[in-house]
Amino acid sequence: MRANGFQFVLLAFSLAIPCAAQESPFVVTYTHHMEEPGNLEFETSSTVGIPRSGQRFYAAPYMELEYGVTTQWTSELYLESSSVWGDSTVFTGWRFENRYKPLRREHWINPVLYLEYESVNEASRIQKEIEGGGPDLICSNRELRGEHAHELETKLILSSDFHDWNISENFIATKNLSESEGVEFGYAFGVSRPLARLASGSNCRFCSENFIAGIEMYGGLGSTLDGFTPRGTAHYIAPVVSWAVSDNATLRLSTGFGLTDQSNPVLLRVGYSYELAGFGSRISRLFGAKR
Amino acid sequence: MKVLCTAMLIFVSSLSAAGQNPSYQQDPQWIAPAAASGKPNPLTNKPETAAGGRKLFLRNCAECHGPNGVGMEKKHSADLQLPVVQQQSDGALFWKITNGNASKGMPSFSRLPELQRWQLILFLRTLKATGPAAADPAK
Repeated sequence: MRANGFQFVLLAFSLAIPCAAQESPFVVTYTHHMEEPGNLEFETSSTVGIPRSGQRFYAAPYMELEYGVTTQWTSELYLESSSVWGDSTVFTGWRFENRYKPLRREHWINPVLYLEYESVNEASRIQKEIEGGGPDLICSNRELRGEHAHELETKLILSSDFHDWNISENFIATKNLSESEGVEFGYAFGVSRPLARLASGSNCRFCSENFIAGIEMYGGLGSTLDGFTPRGTAHYIAPVVSWAVSDNATLRLSTGFGLTDQSNPVLLRVGYSYELAGFGSRISRLFGAKR
Repeated sequence: MKVLCTAMLIFVSSLSAAGQNPSYQQDPQWIAPAAASGKPNPLTNKPETAAGGRKLFLRNCAECHGPNGVGMEKKHSADLQLPVVQQQSDGALFWKITNGNASKGMPSFSRLPELQRWQLILFLRTLKATGPAAADPAK
């Protein structure tokens, strides 16, 4: 059984051929750049919250599988967990998101429509977005994991490439289908730029062309139930950087600084993604699809 | 079981080497606007930057167009050595790389810095000048 599993992993990695892995450095903010059609990207990430007094230290690891269905449609599955210091580690749920880019060409502002279904419990702390008042950072996993939520999340993503800069804004509205919390709102905003404009002829790994740096800001805006209360919610400002470690892999780092009492003072995020090019077509051929 | 898996590995690996597309025909709907076509390549006087273009091509384009740029029939991707491609202006190619052609599966590469897109075009011109050997990664 172990040998078969190993062979499957070998098979999966044999599907990989070099492809551009340089990703946007943003962790929370989405741009209009979609996954290339047929490519599958694995990403493993973690959100680590440094606590204020009364809060608990936590790490929230999660995994993403992102697939480019077409040039205009990307789907993504998340599996997430949460580990709280002195408490416990729990599986906190899954999310399935779809992004659709309605315009076929590049414009000054490129809109993308985003729809996500979440089946998560209240112990979720990955904070891929912050809406409403943000996550509960005080209660224990034991108390929170029993509160399960089915949520629908929508985003309007607006993104522009201006010369070598990317400027993106996300407007978030989330409806908890399990409880009457009204509609919760949030935002994310980011600016990024590659460190080098020209590519060198050599296959260097540490040269500046492999790095993109930026800054993003995100937070909650309250809800229809509690009103527009940006001062009473979590907000972060975060310098971000991505590094194309190889042709297939990207490392992403972010240090978020909390701007309100509802935020962690520091939110560290790290993610490693690996892209398998042409995954969809190769798998379909394995099952007999014609060339 | 081991034999089966080994056979599958060889089969899958061989798929990436398959095909070229000499019968490529341009999408008549995919035409760069005149203003975009007239843009000059700012790197024309820096031919040495084509080496970086080759690296970008292998990272971003070879998956569909092949390492020699001859295209792949199964992916309906363009043979970049054909006159129908090479006769287009630098500006038109820049516009096509930037916007992609969503209806035919060509993604947009606007995420690449502008100069890197121009580097790609410098490299595409070497495909015309010296044929497939110019793009041979072994050389």
